[in-house]
Amino acid sequence: MTFFEKQTDPTTPMHWLGNMQADYLYPSGIAGDKLFKHIMKNDTFLAAKCPKCNKTYFPPRLYCEDCYSEIPNKEWFEIPATGKIKLYTIATIDTYGNKLENPKVIGMINIDKTDGLFLGVIKTDNLDENLQGKQVEAVFKSKNERDGTLKDILYFKKK
Amino acid sequence: MMTTKKEGYPKYAPGTKASGKDIANKNITHSWWEPEVQYSWSLGPAYSRFLQELKKGKIIGRTCKKCERVIVPPRMFCEYCYKPTDDWIYLKDTGKIETFSISYLDPNARRIKDPILIGVISIDGASPMHGFMHYFGEMSKDEIHIGMKVKAVWKPEKERTGSITDIKYFKPWKGGEK
Repeated sequence: MTFFEKQTDPTTPMHWLGNMQADYLYPSGIAGDKLFKHIMKNDTFLAAKCPKCNKTYFPPRLYCEDCYSEIPNKEWFEIPATGKIKLYTIATIDTYGNKLENPKVIGMINIDKTDGLFLGVIKTDNLDENLQGKQVEAVFKSKNERDGTLKDILYFKKK
Repeated sequence: MMTTKKEGYPKYAPGTKASGKDIANKNITHSWWEPEVQYSWSLGPAYSRFLQELKKGKIIGRTCKKCERVIVPPRMFCEYCYKPTDDWIYLKDTGKIETFSISYLDPNARRIKDPILIGVISIDGASPMHGFMHYFGEMSKDEIHIGMKVKAVWKPEKERTGSITDIKYFKPWKGGEK
């Protein structure tokens, strides 16, 4: 009977291993492009304020998502790269489920002078400390290494 | 379009013209990501043996005594008779083109000038319409036709890895010659 013909040699190719190609290109868009080009040259952020309802966006937007009005260029302004930690979590495993040697703190940061929340890595020496509400500032890559992506912001550190 | 006239309703955002060059020259900021999407496909006894034999430079099939079929690539179970297949059988590395395609796109969907010839080959000695897909070589897009006799061109033995690409391609063949 066929089904008793089992393979006992472990060197036989029992599995075919492969890697599916699924490259992914994400352009930043008009507003994102402007922000990242600003970050490439400066250590500050840009925000956009809705002229109608005064909601201040970070990351900046072309349209207000609350009242649907257009945010013109003149409503864009420079803001310092600082903020307050709204909430945070401590990651002890990486994306693949491997244990991290140094736990990573990831938090939502309320950027100063804006209504925007921003997800960032927070660098801290003391993991037991309650970070909620603490003031932080962004640390950027050196200017010649910046490539116009979110990774230009290395991490946030306590002020 | 009516809605655009309503007061307080925004105009549509103007599109921005962009090309592949803008991405390559980094005129447009963007992120590029290549996710690792690994898979492991369990071959089973039939396909394992098939690939091992390809490494040796042979094509192997399976026979079913009930429906008198020679199945290639081999199967351990006959889907017609609902019973296990019976014996292994070595087949020739020749066949005829069952269907083909002239492709002006490469595997990454980029346009190419020299077309890739690809198609399904019915292997000699196997039942009609039994065979597999492969590349064709040493022939032009004008020569290729359905029913054309072809022979496998193998990689040198040292380069074979136990893969369907151990056969480089199928070339035109006149019956009888080696």
